[in-house]
Amino acid sequence: MDFNRLLGLVIAFVPISLLSFGGGQATVPEIQHQVVAVHGWLTNEQFADLFAIARASPGPSTLIVALIGYQVSGFLGAVVATVAVFLPSSILMYFAAAWWQRNKHNPVRIAIERGLAPVAVGLIFAGALIVLRSAHAGLLALATTAVVAVLQSTTRISTYGTVALVAAIYFAIFLTFHPAAA
Amino acid sequence: MPSGNEVAAEAAAAVQPLAGPPGTARTDVSLWMLLKAFVRLGLMTFGGSVQAWVHREIVDRLGWIDNKSYLSGLTVAQVLPGANPVNIALYVGLQLRGAVGAAVAVLGMIVPAFCVIMTLGLLYHAYGHVAAVRFVLLGLAASGVGATLTMGVRVGKRLPRNFVTGAIAVGVFLVVGILRWPMVPVVAIAVPLSIVVAYFDEKRRGGGKEGTAHGL
Repeated sequence: MDFNRLLGLVIAFVPISLLSFGGGQATVPEIQHQVVAVHGWLTNEQFADLFAIARASPGPSTLIVALIGYQVSGFLGAVVATVAVFLPSSILMYFAAAWWQRNKHNPVRIAIERGLAPVAVGLIFAGALIVLRSAHAGLLALATTAVVAVLQSTTRISTYGTVALVAAIYFAIFLTFHPAAA
Repeated sequence: MPSGNEVAAEAAAAVQPLAGPPGTARTDVSLWMLLKAFVRLGLMTFGGSVQAWVHREIVDRLGWIDNKSYLSGLTVAQVLPGANPVNIALYVGLQLRGAVGAAVAVLGMIVPAFCVIMTLGLLYHAYGHVAAVRFVLLGLAASGVGATLTMGVRVGKRLPRNFVTGAIAVGVFLVVGILRWPMVPVVAIAVPLSIVVAYFDEKRRGGGKEGTAHGL
């Protein structure tokens, strides 16, 4: 009964694992596309919520698939989604790391390194745009994005500190403007 | 702090000749030490800054791997598919303790973080309908995008300054970000194209130098 949903998780996430150039962040658009548009497991708003939880959690941000897996098929779904997204890329990395060490001056290695970089950069910025759009970001959210980007680029502010500060400020704003709801 | 790093570096340098030729990793790191290091890293690092923390811990503080070896591994971890923190963990574990070390480092990075995110996810199920929680989460999503932009700018600054490289980066952004084409086919076309361009560009510029001496 649950088997088809578990299989769906594997089919959705294994290709993403093998093509997630640019790290976890760059894969957010495709994960969202699969989960919202292709499989209809979540709405855009639900996805944005899970993304926020993933960003507030330690470890790789790709772990958002654990939350998605849980929504789709319970705890087993979380485990299956996590394995589907980390195992294939890890196997690839394993063989590549061994080859990489042996071929330091190989022109093919240099070309791969150079050729992948611009694709990764394009995907990182695309991911940022798509998350903003799906969260229906207003002026406040856009300002938050800008301030955090400037702070992280120009100061040594810690990531934990940034997350805690943003959460505190948003909570304070909420209490100020929606006192009845709190 | 600098003097502490020097001591650590000296200690690492003193051990290395016993382990093998300079530039190789130490071999006296137990699996337990490896597991402890990556569990800690997995629990204290977030998205964009993971590489810096792993470098500080494994290279600066523990001296398990030298700078050059780490940086070349970092490049592979960044350019290959997969989450960078997991790929880096795998690389370090492989260098220190072979295949078993790679598995231990990766599991150390993923499993505790998996438990934390599941706990937060369950709390969200209980409190997700509360308007305040939704509002705070919007703020966190927005700051996550800020961190992503920072990383994009940092990586983008290191791109070679030429038209083709810029065109590929901007093209991928437009097609995936604005036009919303699915990522997988876009990457499947853009990556081989980009690598071929880089290969011939490298060949044209680097011509008769060291490249061909070590060539295919």
